[in-house]
Amino acid sequence: MNGTQESSSAASAQRQVRVQLVSKQEDIALPENTGPILVPTGLRRYALSTLVNNLLGNDKPVPFEFLINGAFLRTSIDEYLTANGISAETTLEIEYIRALIPPLHIASFEHDDWVSAVDVLSATSSAASWASSSIPQGQERILSASYDGLLRVWNMSSQIVATSPSAVDGGHSASIKAAKFLSPNSIVSAGLDRTVRLWKYTESEDGFSGKIAPQLELYGHKSGINSLAVHAPSNRILTASSDHAVGFWSAKKSDAPAAPESLLPSAASRTSKRRKLNSSVSTPQRGPLALLSSHTAPVSAAIFDAKDSTVGYSTSWDHTLRTWDLVTAALVDTRSTSHSLLSLEHLPEHHLLATGTSARHITLIDPRVSATTISAMTLRGHTNAVVSLSRDPHSSYGLISGSHDGTCRIWDIRATKTDKEGVVGESVYSITRKSLEEAGKADAKRVGGEGVKVFGVCWDRSVGIVSAGEDKRIQINRGEGVLSSA
Amino acid sequence: MVASAGSKKRKAVTRDVEEEAGTFSGDELAGDLNGALSDSANDLSSDEDDSEVELVDEFSSDDDDDEEEELDSDEIPSDGEDAVKKNSAKSTAAPADDESSSDEAEVNFRIEKDANGNDRYVYDEINPDDNSDYSDIDEDSNTIGNIPLSFYDQYPHIGYDINGKKIMRPATGEALDALLDSIEIPKGFTGLTDPSTGKPLELSQDELELLRKVQMNEIPEDGYNPYEPLMEWFTTEKEVMPLSAAPEPKRRFLPSKHEAKRVMKLVKAIREGRILPYKPPSEQEEEDKDLIKYDLWADEEERPDHIMHVPAPKLPPPGYEESYHPPAEYLPDQKERKTWEQADPEDREREYLPTDFGSLRKVPGYGEFVKEKFERCLDLYLAPRVRRSKLNIDPESLLPKLPSPEELKPFPSMCATVFRGHKGRVRSIAVDPTGVWLATAGDDGTVRVWELLTGRQLWSVQLSEEDAVNVVRWRPGKDAVVLAAAAGDDLYLMVPSILDPELEQASLELLDAGWGYAASKPAPSAAEEGKKTPPQWIRPSSALTDSGVCAVIPLRYVAKSISWHRRGDYFVTVCPGASTPASVAVAIHTVSKHLTQYPFSRRIKGGGPPQTAHFHPSKPILFVANQRSVRGYDLSRQLLVKIVQPGARWISSFDIHPTSSTASGGDNLIVGSYDRRLLWHDLELSQRPYKTLRYHRKAIRAVKFHPSGRYPLFADASDDGSLQIFHGSVTGDMLSNASIVPLKVLKGHKITGELGVLDIDWHPREAWCVSAGADGTCRLWM
Repeated sequence: MNGTQESSSAASAQRQVRVQLVSKQEDIALPENTGPILVPTGLRRYALSTLVNNLLGNDKPVPFEFLINGAFLRTSIDEYLTANGISAETTLEIEYIRALIPPLHIASFEHDDWVSAVDVLSATSSAASWASSSIPQGQERILSASYDGLLRVWNMSSQIVATSPSAVDGGHSASIKAAKFLSPNSIVSAGLDRTVRLWKYTESEDGFSGKIAPQLELYGHKSGINSLAVHAPSNRILTASSDHAVGFWSAKKSDAPAAPESLLPSAASRTSKRRKLNSSVSTPQRGPLALLSSHTAPVSAAIFDAKDSTVGYSTSWDHTLRTWDLVTAALVDTRSTSHSLLSLEHLPEHHLLATGTSARHITLIDPRVSATTISAMTLRGHTNAVVSLSRDPHSSYGLISGSHDGTCRIWDIRATKTDKEGVVGESVYSITRKSLEEAGKADAKRVGGEGVKVFGVCWDRSVGIVSAGEDKRIQINRGEGVLSSA
Repeated sequence: MVASAGSKKRKAVTRDVEEEAGTFSGDELAGDLNGALSDSANDLSSDEDDSEVELVDEFSSDDDDDEEEELDSDEIPSDGEDAVKKNSAKSTAAPADDESSSDEAEVNFRIEKDANGNDRYVYDEINPDDNSDYSDIDEDSNTIGNIPLSFYDQYPHIGYDINGKKIMRPATGEALDALLDSIEIPKGFTGLTDPSTGKPLELSQDELELLRKVQMNEIPEDGYNPYEPLMEWFTTEKEVMPLSAAPEPKRRFLPSKHEAKRVMKLVKAIREGRILPYKPPSEQEEEDKDLIKYDLWADEEERPDHIMHVPAPKLPPPGYEESYHPPAEYLPDQKERKTWEQADPEDREREYLPTDFGSLRKVPGYGEFVKEKFERCLDLYLAPRVRRSKLNIDPESLLPKLPSPEELKPFPSMCATVFRGHKGRVRSIAVDPTGVWLATAGDDGTVRVWELLTGRQLWSVQLSEEDAVNVVRWRPGKDAVVLAAAAGDDLYLMVPSILDPELEQASLELLDAGWGYAASKPAPSAAEEGKKTPPQWIRPSSALTDSGVCAVIPLRYVAKSISWHRRGDYFVTVCPGASTPASVAVAIHTVSKHLTQYPFSRRIKGGGPPQTAHFHPSKPILFVANQRSVRGYDLSRQLLVKIVQPGARWISSFDIHPTSSTASGGDNLIVGSYDRRLLWHDLELSQRPYKTLRYHRKAIRAVKFHPSGRYPLFADASDDGSLQIFHGSVTGDMLSNASIVPLKVLKGHKITGELGVLDIDWHPREAWCVSAGADGTCRLWM
């Protein structure tokens, strides 16, 4: 045994390859250009990671992943070379990045009905950072919007801290499709009842009970609202509705214009039963700052530009991505693709917009006027419509998507290759629903993600990946190593 | 005695003659006969009696009496029949007989010389036998002497016996015959008993005839000729053409013992070496040993032909012309021969003339032989031989080029959402004009509205507890949202409570506007009175009103098909039930007036009740399909304008291409049938289908074009649980036909109770389709 091992190691020791180790992240970049290093081809990811840690002189080893030609190194270098037919004579350029720890299931919060959207309030979440309030670790809150018309705020120990009032008490009269923390004590939600509601969220001292009180009702949309985006510093809200319009709202009562009379629920001349649904609590009602309507099909998502809150982007089922100047409420640019677009996320560092399509992939679009190609990259892997996207808080290259196929997939836009259809990427990890595993049908293929569709996903640095879906739960996944290193 | 016997016999034969019996007497006859004979003898030479008789016959034909007498005279000699027969050839006449008998009487003595030398007449001793006069005395004999019996005719007796007693006249033939007639003798009666059966032996006429023939030493068989001419098969004579020309067989060969002896002598000599059978090898061969011979081909092996080897073309086999003894029709006549001889050798068609030599040995040497062979060699040597490759056609390449499905994307390929909630079959499915909602209806009597993408049920109404909802359709147009559904005998118009107040108000107003119109014109006109009264629209019950139903049309028959006009003011319903009267099977409903009309008064021709109906997307034409054909009616002119005959046995559904008769070419129609066919019709082209697609294993339930012009897609749903998606692009000009490419089979619906997919609809903008299954689920395919 020993003899063979020695001989094989000797053989592999003889085979060596020149590698050039590079990194695009400055904090882990090698101090000076080391030049090509001769490494044995038998090395795997772990050995390379140790090597880089040694080179960096880290006291505490940081796990690294290695990208060769857009593909993560999952085998030994030797096997990679043979598999891709690359000569060992060439100098391999290996990019190393902080390793993404496989996200593990942490907890599931069970609901009464389908959960359509989630948001996280934590020290690192945007709502907290805008408010510049510090949320101590362990005091993170998770907001869930459910199809039963209720908003729930959870703490990390799977307890409901607060629930929004029902329709009778000034809550949503239909399913909620989107909800966001505007600030640590205000929540915005919107749904199929065509209203955007602003809530005041207050919490008791011990943090185990809270109250969600209606603050403002915004009327203007004529059909269900699919998603919303908030920008707390300017108190602006963007909504995407099925009535082909993008709503631009102010979260401040004083800013907002009056609500259009015809759209108020009292305007409905229908039966007494309908009136019963009307709220007994009188809440101030306001209208939109602007309704941006040039889409020709239901708008699926609308977001603010991550850097410039005067720019908004919206995607629609009419296959277009539109850029809006929110100050003048003018359409700036239209990018047409060949599929219905269902979700949107901005990757500001790369000037890219990621949109999920009904054709089961994610298209990365450069919204700048100078961009020549519409689709910069396509991320393939989902088997159903991609309806939710969220940025990786750790890396500007990372992205998570939630799809109706019942999975969340983590993507790294560096792990791409070019084929005949352009630049195509593959997912790094795929997170399945825990409910399927618990039912013992983890392997069973669900047609159309039946029962496990993911409707919303949110990736927070401190909490992890929070996803919500048709299985009536919020599922939290986290790569532990990432947290410890952060 | 003789006469009586003769008369008796006569009487037995014929009774009619009997009256003249009195005239009959042997004497008279004889006298007459003699007289006649003497007359004739006088006239003619009496050498031959035959001729006399003949002459007599001839003469006697003059008077009847004579003839009768002649006939009788023929019969009279019957006593001496034998004598007559034997001597017929010699024709001894009766008088001659008499003479001969007198001669015999004279010579019953012989003349001998007595002792004195005188003649002595020696008579035979008289034998006192029966013939003798002495023995003649019989007690019963008549002693009347030589007087005619006619003298006693008037007496009951005919004479006296030797004792003087009257001899009574025997019973006459009449009485005997009467007696015999009175006795029934069975046919074939023999009076014998069959010893084997114990019954009376009866013989048939044939058997009697056979017996008679045996008795008479005749040949019993009929038609047997014992004197047939002799055919000599084998003769001792030597024939010119013997029957067998076989040579003398070898078994008749007798080996010669002498020759055997000689051979044995030779054999012995050879064995002893006295005779050498072969010549000993001569000296010369040994001398040639110095000469070295090489066998060039000693280890020659057969090699395969060179790869470029082209075998020499074969000469045609010889025909009749080349024969040494050709049939006459191949031989040239004088003229042909002459033209051949006069022609230049190069111009001749053939290089030889067919000649009849009669037999092969008479064929002379062929003068052209060397020349011909030389030319053949030249041909083989000089004529270039080219390897011509066979036309190598890939059968695939002959098929028309269909674009690959990849190029025709997008089309639905995967199940994106499953809609669960219906109990029992989902019968109908429809996507709303904005493409956000999905309406379904099923056996559980509910109409449900779903969020299309997520599969969330938003709204539901229970229209009927026991009846299934057969069909549900959205009103086209985005100004109002109205659902029309047919459950049981009623039609329901609904506004689902998922709308914003403005739109809901508009929809409600649209439906309510008609109440006023109906109230202002409550009484139907006289013309309508005569017809079947159209149903009055009524308001639904309060429970249904609360759940969104705005108007109910009591149709009285089960509607299975609803189709809206594109403007959204009319919709047509079809009640295909067999019990539905033909005049009310198709109904057109006007929403704004709350009016229901029946456009057809009679059954539509072409087979069976109407199945489904659709409005033309741009022209005022209503297409109605019954079981066999689709007919287009111009509603404004009240005319039948189009008949489409798909050739299907039972049409289940059809759809009209959305761009029909707009800027582009003609109308296109797809028809699905229960006999598994999907038929594409180009109405400009023919009544008959332009393309027939038979890809389903079971009945096709629904067919649908993609409603927007953007995607040239159509789909069908079948009972085999699958949907099939086709690409069918209609070109703008009339020059080219539609190209149809099968794209995708979508499977997923379970077959429940022999039913698979019951309905199908397309998303108004996207290449997504939805299907309703008998398994209680609906599916969104994208």
